[in-house]
Amino acid sequence: MAQILNKALTNIYDFLLKHHESKLAFKKELLIIKTDEFNAKKMKKIEKVELKYKHQLSKLETHAGVESEYLKEKISEKVQEVEDKVYWKKRIINQKIKRAKDEKKKEKLQADLSSLEQSKTNKIAEIKDKFLNVNPSDQDINSYEEQKAVLEKEKESKVKEIAKTYEDKIKELNTKTEEAVKNHEEKIKKYSDVLSNIEESLREQADTVILEKDIALSLRNLSMHFGGLKAVDDLSFDVKKGEIFGLIGPNGAGKTTVFNCITRFYKPTSGEMYFNNANKKTIHLNDVKVHNIIKQGIVRTFQNVELVWELNILDNLLVAAHSAYRSNFFGHSVHSRLTKREEVIFTKRAMKILEDLDLKSYTYAFPIGLPYGVLKKVELARTLMSNPKLIILDEPAAGLNDAETKDLAKFIRKIKDEYEVTIFLVEHDMGLVMSICDTVCAISFGKKLEMGTPKQVQNSKVVQEAYLGGD
Amino acid sequence: MGEFILDFGIASAVLFVAYNVFKVFFLKYFKNKGKVKGRAINIVVALLIIYTFVIIYQTAKDNYGDRALAYMLLQLINQIPNIATLALATTAIVLIYKTSTTTNFAQSMMATFGAYFAAKTIQYTGARYEWGQTTTVVVALLAGALVAFLLGIFIDSVIIRYSKDKSPVGKQMITMGLVIILTGLMPILFGTNSPTNPLNIPRLFPANDQIPLTFLNTWGIIEMELSMTRHAVYIMLFAIILLALLFSLLRFTKWGLGVRATASNERVASMMGVNTKLITALSWGIAGFLGGVAAIIKAPSSIGPALMVSTQVNGFVAAVLGSFTSFAGPLIASILIPPLQGLLVTLVGAWNFAVVYAIILAFVLIKPEGLFGKKVDKKV
Amino acid sequence: MTYEKQMKNNINNKMMSIVKHPYFGFFLIAALMLFVQLLRIAGVDVPIQTLRAFGKTMIYIIVGLGFSILLGYGGLASLGTAGFVGLGAYILGYFTNQLGLSIFMIILISIVFAIILGTIIGFISLRIEGMYLAIITLAIAQIINEVFKNWISFSNGVDGMIVNNRFVLFNQYVVLDQNLVFSVIAVILFLVMIVTYNIMKSPTGRALLAMRNSSSAAQAMGISIFKFRLLAFIVSTVYAIFAGVLYLSYIPSTFPGDWTLSLSLLILAAVIVGGSRSIYGIVMGTFLIFGLDLALLQNRDNFGGFFVENPEITIMFNGILIILVIMFYRGGLIRLMNTLIAKVKGIYSKLNKKWREYRYGTDIK
Repeated sequence: MAQILNKALTNIYDFLLKHHESKLAFKKELLIIKTDEFNAKKMKKIEKVELKYKHQLSKLETHAGVESEYLKEKISEKVQEVEDKVYWKKRIINQKIKRAKDEKKKEKLQADLSSLEQSKTNKIAEIKDKFLNVNPSDQDINSYEEQKAVLEKEKESKVKEIAKTYEDKIKELNTKTEEAVKNHEEKIKKYSDVLSNIEESLREQADTVILEKDIALSLRNLSMHFGGLKAVDDLSFDVKKGEIFGLIGPNGAGKTTVFNCITRFYKPTSGEMYFNNANKKTIHLNDVKVHNIIKQGIVRTFQNVELVWELNILDNLLVAAHSAYRSNFFGHSVHSRLTKREEVIFTKRAMKILEDLDLKSYTYAFPIGLPYGVLKKVELARTLMSNPKLIILDEPAAGLNDAETKDLAKFIRKIKDEYEVTIFLVEHDMGLVMSICDTVCAISFGKKLEMGTPKQVQNSKVVQEAYLGGD
Repeated sequence: MGEFILDFGIASAVLFVAYNVFKVFFLKYFKNKGKVKGRAINIVVALLIIYTFVIIYQTAKDNYGDRALAYMLLQLINQIPNIATLALATTAIVLIYKTSTTTNFAQSMMATFGAYFAAKTIQYTGARYEWGQTTTVVVALLAGALVAFLLGIFIDSVIIRYSKDKSPVGKQMITMGLVIILTGLMPILFGTNSPTNPLNIPRLFPANDQIPLTFLNTWGIIEMELSMTRHAVYIMLFAIILLALLFSLLRFTKWGLGVRATASNERVASMMGVNTKLITALSWGIAGFLGGVAAIIKAPSSIGPALMVSTQVNGFVAAVLGSFTSFAGPLIASILIPPLQGLLVTLVGAWNFAVVYAIILAFVLIKPEGLFGKKVDKKV
Repeated sequence: MTYEKQMKNNINNKMMSIVKHPYFGFFLIAALMLFVQLLRIAGVDVPIQTLRAFGKTMIYIIVGLGFSILLGYGGLASLGTAGFVGLGAYILGYFTNQLGLSIFMIILISIVFAIILGTIIGFISLRIEGMYLAIITLAIAQIINEVFKNWISFSNGVDGMIVNNRFVLFNQYVVLDQNLVFSVIAVILFLVMIVTYNIMKSPTGRALLAMRNSSSAAQAMGISIFKFRLLAFIVSTVYAIFAGVLYLSYIPSTFPGDWTLSLSLLILAAVIVGGSRSIYGIVMGTFLIFGLDLALLQNRDNFGGFFVENPEITIMFNGILIILVIMFYRGGLIRLMNTLIAKVKGIYSKLNKKWREYRYGTDIK
C-alpha cells in the first residue's frame, strides 16, 4: 500500500516539478523576447519623436536660412521627385521620337524636350527658393535660435519620458520575472527534495529499482513474444549516459522490436525497462503510455521517413515540440498571447537546430520532392526539438550512400557533443556503427550475443558465426 | 411439440455457450487474454440473443396467446425475402471491399439501376408478349442483372481505373459521387413511376400462389396453417444457389484464387502475373449482378431511386458486424438482421431499425473485429 | 528619410498590413453578404430567393468548416453530418416551442449536446478503422433520422417542426426579422472563419495533420491519438449542431427529410471540391454546390425554369464534380484558383514589361 502511495506521490511531484521547470524555462525565454520587444518599441518611438522634431525645426530653418542636414535631405528629396518625373517624361518623348515617322512631328517633340528641361530647372530653383531663405534677416536668425532651443527642450523631455517609460517597463518585467523565477526555483528545489526523499525511502525497499547515475537506460530480461514467435528473448543490457550505443544483428534479430518495446509501441511480454530521466529520476518504462514517452525525454526516428507532407520543414519541426507547448486548444482557437509567444520561442529553437544541421536552406520547403538524405536529416532534427535525453535512431543510414552516411556520422557526433544526449542506434551499416558507437550490442533471434566496444564485438566468434554462418 | 422449437433453440444456445466455456477453461487460453475475451463476448452475445427471443416470445404470448409461436414464425417467414436480398447485397459489398479495398457506397445505386432496367423491360414485354408473369419477371431479372453487371464493370474499368487518386479514401469518395450522379441520372433515363410509365416489378408468381408449410403442422410445431409465397421459396433457393456458386468459384477456380490474391495485396498479385485489372473489373461486375438480382427479387416493388437504400445500410452494418475480412461473417450477420428487425416490431414498433443499429453499434464498440473477425496487431 | 515621407510610408504600411492580414479575406466575404442584403433593403431588385440561398450557403459553410477540421486535418470520415445539423435545428425548435427557453440558453445546451455526441463518436473512432468509421457514422445518422421521424413529442415527426422566427429573448417571445438574422449569421460566419483559421495554423492543427499522416510518429512526438481524435470529432460536431441552430433561426421550418444522407454527401462534396484544407476553398466549394443551385438554378426566372423542372440535373452535376475532382484534380477549387492567380500574375507582369518597354524604351535603369 505504501508502495502505491509512494509511486503516486512520485508521479505527482514529478509532474509538478516538470510543470515548474517548463514554466521557468518559458519565463526566461519570455524575458528575453519581451525585453527585445520593449527595446525595439522604445527605439521606434524615439526615432519618431526625433524625426518630428527635425521636421518642425526645418520649418524654422527655412525662415532663418540655416542649411541643416535634414533640410538638405528634404530639398534633395523634392528635387529628386522632380528629376524623376522629368526623367520618365523624357524617356516617353524619346520613345515617341524613335517611333515618329514624319519630320515635323520629330521637330515638335524635340521642342517639347527642351521646354521640359527648362521647366525642370525652373522648378528646382523654385524648390530651393521655397525651402531656403537665402537672405535671412537678423531678426529671423534670433527668433530661430530661440524657438530652436524651445523645441529642443521639448524633444529632450519627450525622449526622456519615453525612455523612462520603457525602462520602467523593463525593470518591472525583470523584477516580476525574478520573483517568478525565484518562486519556481524554490518550488523546484522543494519538489526535487521531496522526490529524492521518496527515492531514498524507496531505495530501502528491495523491489523498487533505482538506476545508477551514469546509466541512462536499462533493459532487464526483456521478452516479446508474438504467439509462438520469440522476437525478443530475455534480453538485458545497460546504456550509459552520454554514449552512442549501437544495437546490431542480422535481419529479423528483433532490433526494431526492442525499441518498439522501449518506446511503448509494443507491450513487452515480460521484463522491465528503466530510464533515467532529466530529473535524475528512474522511470519504469513499462508503466508509461506511448505518447508520454517523449515527455520523459526519449525520442525516436522511424525507418520510413514519417514527416507530415502537408507542412513545410519548419512546421514539421514545430510539431515535434508539441509536448513542450503549454497553450491549449482554446488558446489556439483565439490565437492567444501565449500561443503567439510560444510560436516565436519554438520557431527560434527550430531555426537554431536547422542551422546546426546545415538545413537552413530547406526551412520553408515542403518535404515532397526533397532528397531522401535531406528528409532523414530533418527526422534527426525533429528529435532535438524537445530537448531529449535519449535519442533512438531506427536505421538512420538506410537508403543513404557513402557520402551521406559519413555526413550523418558527423552530425550524430555533433549532436552528442552539443546537446548532451545519449544516442541509441539500430543499424545495419557496419561502417557507421564501428565509426561512431562507443558500445555495441549484437543480438540474434532475440538473444544477446555479445556486448562491448565495437572492436570487441567485431572480433567475437559468436557474432561472426551469427552473421556469416559457422565454418 | 410447439414448445419443442423453443427447447431446441435454447438447447443449441446452451451447447454453444458450453462449447465456449469449455474452450475457455480447458484448453488453457488463459495466457492469451485476447481469445478469452473474444469467447467471453460470444457467450454474452449468445445469452443476450436468447434473452431477446424469450422476451419477444413472452410479448407475443401476451398479445396472441397460444398463437404466439405461430406469430413469431410468421414474422420469420415474412423476412425470408429480405434475408435473400440482404445476403446478396452484403456479399456484393464484401466482394468489392476485398478486391478494391473500398466500401462501395454506390452499391444500392448499381442495384437500383438494374431494377430500373428490369422494370422497363417488364413495361415493354409484359404488355406485348403475354408471356405470363413468371417468364416476364425472369427475363427482366436476367436483363436487369446483366445491365447492373455491365455498369459495375464500367465503373471499375473506366472511372476508377483512370482516376489519379486511387487511394481507398479516394475510391470511396468516387463511389459517393456516383451515388449522387446515379440518383439524378436514373429518373432522367428511365423516367419516374407514373401510370403512363409504370415502373413496377411484380413477384415471380402471383401473390396468391402460396405454398403451404404443412410440415410445420405435421411435425406438431404449430396448429395454425402458415404458407410462404411461391415467389419467396423460389428466390430463397435462387439466392442460395447463386451464393453457393459464387463461393465455390472463389474457392475452387483460378479466378477465385486471383480474387483472394488481389484482395491480399493488389500490387504484388499483379507482379505475380494475376490480371488484377480483369479481376477487379469482374468483381465489380459480379457485385453489380448480385445487387441487381437483390433489387429485383425484392418484389413487389415500385421503382424509385431510394429502392435499395435501407438494404444497403443494412448491408454495410451486416458487413461491419460480420467483419469485412471474411464472407461467412457478413453472410451470417445478414441472416440474423432481418429477423431481428422483424421480430423487434412487437417490442418497439417503428423504432425497430434504429434499435437494431444501436445494438450493432454497441457490439462493434465492444468487439471491433465483429462477430468472426480476427484481431490484427500492427507492425510499427 | 523625411518626416512627410515616413508619414506616407506609415499609412501605406498600415493599409498593406490590413489587406494582407489573413482575416481580411474573411471580412470581405462577410461584408459581401451584408452588402447584398443592404442592396435589397435599399430597394435594389435582389430576388428574395438569392438572399435566402446566400443565407443557407453561409450556414453550410460553417458546417463545411467543421467538416474540414475532421476530414482535411484529422483525416476522419463521417457521414453523419446532416443528422447533427438537423439535431441542432430540432433542439432549437423543441426547446423554444415546448419549453420556451431563451435562445442563448439553447445555444449553450446545443453545445453541451454536441460535446457529448462528439465524445461518443470519438470514442467509437478509437476502436474502429477509418473505412468502417464512415459506415458507423452512417448508422448513427440513420438512427438520428429515425428519431426525427418517430419521436413525435420531440420533433413532431414527418409533419415537421415550425418556428417561424419566433424565439425567446430575455424571457419573452419575439419574432426576429429575417434580415436581422441574416446579418447576425454573416457576423457569426466571420468569427467562425477566424476561429477555424486559428485552429488550422496552430499547434493543434499541426498535431491533427501529424496524426493523419502517421499515428505512430505522432504518438512518438507526444500527440495523444485519443485526445486529438476526440477533439476533431467534438469540434466538428459543435460546428454542425451550432449551424443547425442557425438554420432554424433563419429558415422557419424543418422536416426529417431535410437531413438525409444526400445532404451529408453534398457537404462532403463541397469540402472536397473546394479543397479540404483551405477556408477559401470551402467557401468556393459550398457556393458552387449549394449557392449556385439555390440562388441561380432553382429560380424559375432563370433558364426558363429548366433546372426547376429537372432538379435531377443539378444533383447529377454535383456528383460529376466530385468525381472529376477526385479523378483529375485532387487539390480542388482552391488549387485551381491559386494556379490561375499565379498564371494571371505571370501574364500581367509579362504584359506590363512589354508596355513599359514600349513606353519608356528598353534601356531601363
